[in-house]
Amino acid sequence: MEVITYILQLLIIILAPLAVGLGAGIDRKITARMQNRLGPPVVQPFYDIGKLLAKRPMLLSRLQVVFAGAALLFHAAALALFVAGGDLIVAFFVSGTGSICLVMGAFSARSPYSYIGGQRELLAILAYEPVLFLVVLAIGLETSFLVSGIGGGLLIALPLVLLALIPVLVILLEKSPFDVPTAHQEIMSGPYVEYSGPYLAIMEVARWFQLAFVFGLVTLFFWSADPVVSAGGKLALAFAVLFVTIIIDNITARLTRGRMVRFMLTVGVGLVAINLLVLFVIGQGAI
Amino acid sequence: MTLEEKMRMRSPWIMHFDTGSCNGCDLEVWALLTPRYDVERFGAVNRANPKQADVLLVTGPVTKRCEDRLRNLYEQTPEPKLVIACGDCASTGAPFHNCYNVNGGVDKVIPVDVYVPGCACRPEALIDALVLGLSMWREKVQKMVGEEGR
Ligand code: SF4
Repeated sequence: MEVITYILQLLIIILAPLAVGLGAGIDRKITARMQNRLGPPVVQPFYDIGKLLAKRPMLLSRLQVVFAGAALLFHAAALALFVAGGDLIVAFFVSGTGSICLVMGAFSARSPYSYIGGQRELLAILAYEPVLFLVVLAIGLETSFLVSGIGGGLLIALPLVLLALIPVLVILLEKSPFDVPTAHQEIMSGPYVEYSGPYLAIMEVARWFQLAFVFGLVTLFFWSADPVVSAGGKLALAFAVLFVTIIIDNITARLTRGRMVRFMLTVGVGLVAINLLVLFVIGQGAI
Repeated sequence: MTLEEKMRMRSPWIMHFDTGSCNGCDLEVWALLTPRYDVERFGAVNRANPKQADVLLVTGPVTKRCEDRLRNLYEQTPEPKLVIACGDCASTGAPFHNCYNVNGGVDKVIPVDVYVPGCACRPEALIDALVLGLSMWREKVQKMVGEEGR
């Protein structure tokens, strides 16, 4: 029984980022259909990764590659911790270290565009990390900080917390209105600007791992005793959240970085706070 | 076609560079990305970054001021890459041929793989050029793999 669980966990760790890649393909397809275009095939992100890996490597400094590798390792470790049923807070901090590695990688290149991208990525981290941390805390206070100990009822108890995760995902997926780090119209690839070929592929896969972790948080909200219903519901919930972010992406224009930080630190934090407050009041009343 | 080749063929990332065109060809290049021509269905996206691009779409006669930048961008694009000269100006210099301040054609500065005629070049012709270019790209890749294998 133990062995089967381990194999299953390993499979999820490998398959989750691939699922995120597929989600990115679905995202591009849906966005294209919304703009009355045909759009690329759903597996396009995998074509891109394959091509990037096959390109001739060009690098500015060794340090950059070290940071790219570190980002990948940290994000993968965070996902592994999460899937293995470890501590949510530890997984959150490990994932945060991965994000910092991305910024360090951007700063390690002597390029103004990379610098601006790095600065903006720092601002984005400042915006989403507190909200993500509060989400983790809320989940932990409601049930347990250990992923393996989290049971059902999260969606009913913490609906606003799930809502607060949506803008976090908008930032992480680099979608408008909060696609500040990679602002398409001015600095193009932002922190990724000096990465090319295989190294860009590493960064991309690192991002898939990071997104897999955050989507993992989303899937925690659905729970059922039947494993098949549970898995289906988790997938459906993750897809629903992805769909909402796609719609937000397509109906909004990019806002300034100041507004992003302000929105997250007021509305994002506020949503979690209100949810916890209501829970507390109900809990007091019940006693 | 092996899977690796297919992956390379299905994901040509574009960089567009204007070397002094009258903006006619540029508009047609941009039209490629609009819903009408939608080259994203072939996996092409505009990266506007030579380090991440595969296909350089160059428009306009190369003015002497732009020459160095064009060479710079070409050198920053990692192999295997493809250069498409879009429009008459980019192909030969056309009306600006023999002007004192232009080089006349992209191929005076960097090697060109495909020439697209027309003033301005039609988006359909550009898509044809992209498809033709990708088959040439495949040959390039095979040659590159052969060289690295040796
Ligand atoms: S080919 Fe014609 S449309 Fe294109 S840049 Fe030259 S003059 Fe303008």
